[in-house]
Amino acid sequence: MGGLRDLLTPRGDRIILLCWALLCLTSLAVLWSVTEPIIGPYEDVDPGVPKSVFWRQLIWAIAGYCGLVAASRIPLRHIDNLAAVPWLISLVLLLLVPVVGPVISGARRWLVFGPVSLQPAEMAKVSCIILNASLLARGVDSQRKSLATGASLVLTAIPAVLVMEQPDLGTSLVFWATWVGMIFWFGMPGIFLLVAATGVCSAVIMFYSEAVAHQAWPWGAYLLVILATLYYVRWSIPAKVSMLAANVIAGIAIPIFWAQLKGYQQDRVMAFFKPAEHAFSAGYQTLQSKVAIGSGGLFGTHYLKGTQKGLAFLPERQTDFIFSVVGEELGFIGAVAVVGLYFVMILRGVDHAAAVRKPFSRFLAMGIVAYLTFHVVVNVSITTGLMPVTGIPLPLMSYGGSNLLVTSAMLGLLLNVSSKSFDV
Amino acid sequence: MDDRDLTVRHALLRTIIIVAFAILVVNLFQLTVIRHSFYQDQALENRQDRFRVRAPRGRIYDRDGNLLAANLYIADITVPRRCLTPAGPDSTLTRLIEWFGLDRWETLERLQQQPARRDPLVLVADASPARIFTVEERGRDLPGVKVVTRSRRQYLFGTLFAHSLGYLGEVSPSDLDSTSTAYVQGDHIGKMGVEAAMEPVLRGVAGIKLEEVNASGRIVGRKPVWVRDVVPGTDVHVTMSLRLQQKLAVAMGDRPGCAVALDVRTGEVLAAYSNPAFDPNMLGISISTKQWNELISDPDKPLFNRITQATYPPASLFKTVTSLAGLAGGHIGTASSLEPCGGGWTYGNRYFRCWKKGGHGWLDHTGAMMNSCDTFYYQLGMRMQVDELAAAARAFGLGSRVTTEFADEVKGNVPDTAWYDRHLGKKGWSRGVLMNTSIGQGELLVTPIQMAVVAGRLATGGTMPDPVFVRTPAPVRRQPRPLPFRPEHLAWVREAMRRTVAEGTGRAARLKTVEVAGKTGTAQNPHGDDHAWFMCFAPAESPEIAVAVIMENAGHGGSEAAPIAGALLSTYFHEDEADSVGVPVEIPEEVD
Repeated sequence: MGGLRDLLTPRGDRIILLCWALLCLTSLAVLWSVTEPIIGPYEDVDPGVPKSVFWRQLIWAIAGYCGLVAASRIPLRHIDNLAAVPWLISLVLLLLVPVVGPVISGARRWLVFGPVSLQPAEMAKVSCIILNASLLARGVDSQRKSLATGASLVLTAIPAVLVMEQPDLGTSLVFWATWVGMIFWFGMPGIFLLVAATGVCSAVIMFYSEAVAHQAWPWGAYLLVILATLYYVRWSIPAKVSMLAANVIAGIAIPIFWAQLKGYQQDRVMAFFKPAEHAFSAGYQTLQSKVAIGSGGLFGTHYLKGTQKGLAFLPERQTDFIFSVVGEELGFIGAVAVVGLYFVMILRGVDHAAAVRKPFSRFLAMGIVAYLTFHVVVNVSITTGLMPVTGIPLPLMSYGGSNLLVTSAMLGLLLNVSSKSFDV
Repeated sequence: MDDRDLTVRHALLRTIIIVAFAILVVNLFQLTVIRHSFYQDQALENRQDRFRVRAPRGRIYDRDGNLLAANLYIADITVPRRCLTPAGPDSTLTRLIEWFGLDRWETLERLQQQPARRDPLVLVADASPARIFTVEERGRDLPGVKVVTRSRRQYLFGTLFAHSLGYLGEVSPSDLDSTSTAYVQGDHIGKMGVEAAMEPVLRGVAGIKLEEVNASGRIVGRKPVWVRDVVPGTDVHVTMSLRLQQKLAVAMGDRPGCAVALDVRTGEVLAAYSNPAFDPNMLGISISTKQWNELISDPDKPLFNRITQATYPPASLFKTVTSLAGLAGGHIGTASSLEPCGGGWTYGNRYFRCWKKGGHGWLDHTGAMMNSCDTFYYQLGMRMQVDELAAAARAFGLGSRVTTEFADEVKGNVPDTAWYDRHLGKKGWSRGVLMNTSIGQGELLVTPIQMAVVAGRLATGGTMPDPVFVRTPAPVRRQPRPLPFRPEHLAWVREAMRRTVAEGTGRAARLKTVEVAGKTGTAQNPHGDDHAWFMCFAPAESPEIAVAVIMENAGHGGSEAAPIAGALLSTYFHEDEADSVGVPVEIPEEVD
């Protein structure tokens, strides 16, 4: 291979690369439509989305390609060796945000360097994945799995809590999603999965009892079912105790966690459970998004012809709710095509994560897959009304340089891993 | 970690991912394909807002082209219903309440009480310019808040035409049910008189515009998506004359009573004034509950249209009918005499008084009519059958409605055998009732407009059409029915009436240039002083105008009612050119 060609093209899985390119192009096409000037004289109500958004995204896509190529070609062992460096840098940046970051829409999430603004949380996501992969790989090599698990938990919690305090609930959940994915790959006993799953159930049911039904009995009934099950199954005493403890602690933690949430966050969750009462407040985004997608039909209102987006009914249509524009203008076919591109990328990523031999590569690939899956599933669920609204962008599609660059770099790493998985 | 374990995890993970994406795709299918039409409707609703443009109501003119009722344009400030969230008012509404200094509680309650189908809600009705400017200036901070103009009815002469023109009020729920397409909640509808009778003509057709709007309700389309043009209401010309009406009002002053004048050639109502009256500018739309309660509990009943709604005994005016019935039945001749009047007449074991205590002595039929001798008519009445007299009364239009325009007109009562049987029992009464009926008392009840019709039909021999209040658009008329009396008998009655005014009890209605024929009456009133009656027509030889006047509790018709008819007739025949037409009464200040 020639030197220049090496610099310009990534190596690894061509199908993932193709998906990346198609998604970036779709994103640019949709952003062109979104940034078209809007019919009628109503700039004073909604200034519309400026065309500069499209051009910026184009530049970021080119930068993203460079990141992708670079990440696909850097020898993975260098990354493994220096895993702590990006994590420490992003930690410093995250700590800087509350001190020097400007307040935008009631939250401090950005750092501004001249014309460029960065979201340190985006960088923290990828660096956390890298550090965890490195840690877990060392745990596999040294056979000290518990220590590695505990350490990764702490190192994930630090950026997650900092992001949560910005406040950015959605992004902080990303850290936990990637951690769970990697730990699952690392090898958790089945009972841990069960304990975790019932813990989540307990939390959801407790939330329902407390905030929606205003009655204690649903959670009480659930706990009785758990107790009855534990009475009959033949598990070790510590397993039974931890199962019970996880359920009780999750149940107790939820009201405390709920009280910690900001008012608007609570409203969004309540709007999800009682949409009619919040149709014009917290539930407005979900409702408008569903109307946009639903009115698209099988083939959509056709490109550049969406009325919802054009008339400013769709909030955040260039960022978190870009998928609604896809649904409205390109219809069911277009939306499924976009979801399908992610699906192909993710499934191939899982296959590479399973095929590759080196533990670091395996966990790195898994972290990236978990990251992508969480973002795509949660974002599409929010825009189609399956989940309460929280700020999760659609990777590669939503406008935003940090996210595009970081996602491209992560996919570069995945390509890097894939080249090893096929080499073997 | 062994390979087998990894394979299991790999398969598990793939399954989870496939299931998750399958859920996404199924949900997308549900949204875009299965529930597509629902969301498409929602999207259309998002984009289109329906604006209803009320039609300007037709104006009302008098017969000479004077404007009587016009429209005054005023503005309401409205807020979208979504401002009222279950938790209370949103920030927009809160701001408005603060800026306008409204009472928060009272305002919210009022808004909540506006019916569910009304959107937007009227926050301030008939807003002051200051408030309108506030909304226009800060519209940016007030998404969905609109200034909606509407018109208010303006009656230029206030109380002068109150009962005959009527007034406007908000449509009631029953109006909405019966004519749901023409009205929406908050529309105005004629509540009385010409406004009610000509409602379909006056109201016009409301226009509808579908406009493309953005998320905050602002119109963004260059032109409406769909338009139904406004059809303005048609102007109405009434038969009444401002000049005559003003004359009547001045002549009656503040005494309760009413008067109505008809053109006997056309049946057109030239003047109709019922006193006391109300101010239609105040009524219906901007009236407070307190003002309304005062109006309906006023003992003088200002809301009551005496012309068509009040019934009185016709008293001596009815003697014209009794005479004609007697002549038609051959019970008496025009020159016949009966027993002389000694101040009364005994029937059975009861003594019925003549109004003149000393008695009239010897009178022939003409003299009895001119002097209104009760004793003569007691005797004449007793020669007839109950139903004979009732039939004569009915031939004049008594006992039934004489207008088609006034829904609230009452029929009065013409008692006949069937009526007495029903109300007093088959054996509960005797022919003695004729003692009362023959002099227009007892169970006989008439409205003032019916007595004007009696005068008009006497004057024309029955060719006068039924009374109408509207000239254009031309109303549908009933064919007039001639009176079933011989022309020489009618001529004799007319001559007796002419002499009544010329030399008898009706002298107060005499004119300088025109001969008037009339009949006075004094209706016994068990609740208070007697009512003064007068009916007449003029000129006596070739009648043009018929008038009926009743002054409540005023005493004698000759002295109290006849002068009012005289005043009206002198204006009609231009004998008092010196009188000015007068200036319109002042319209009350806008109420904010």
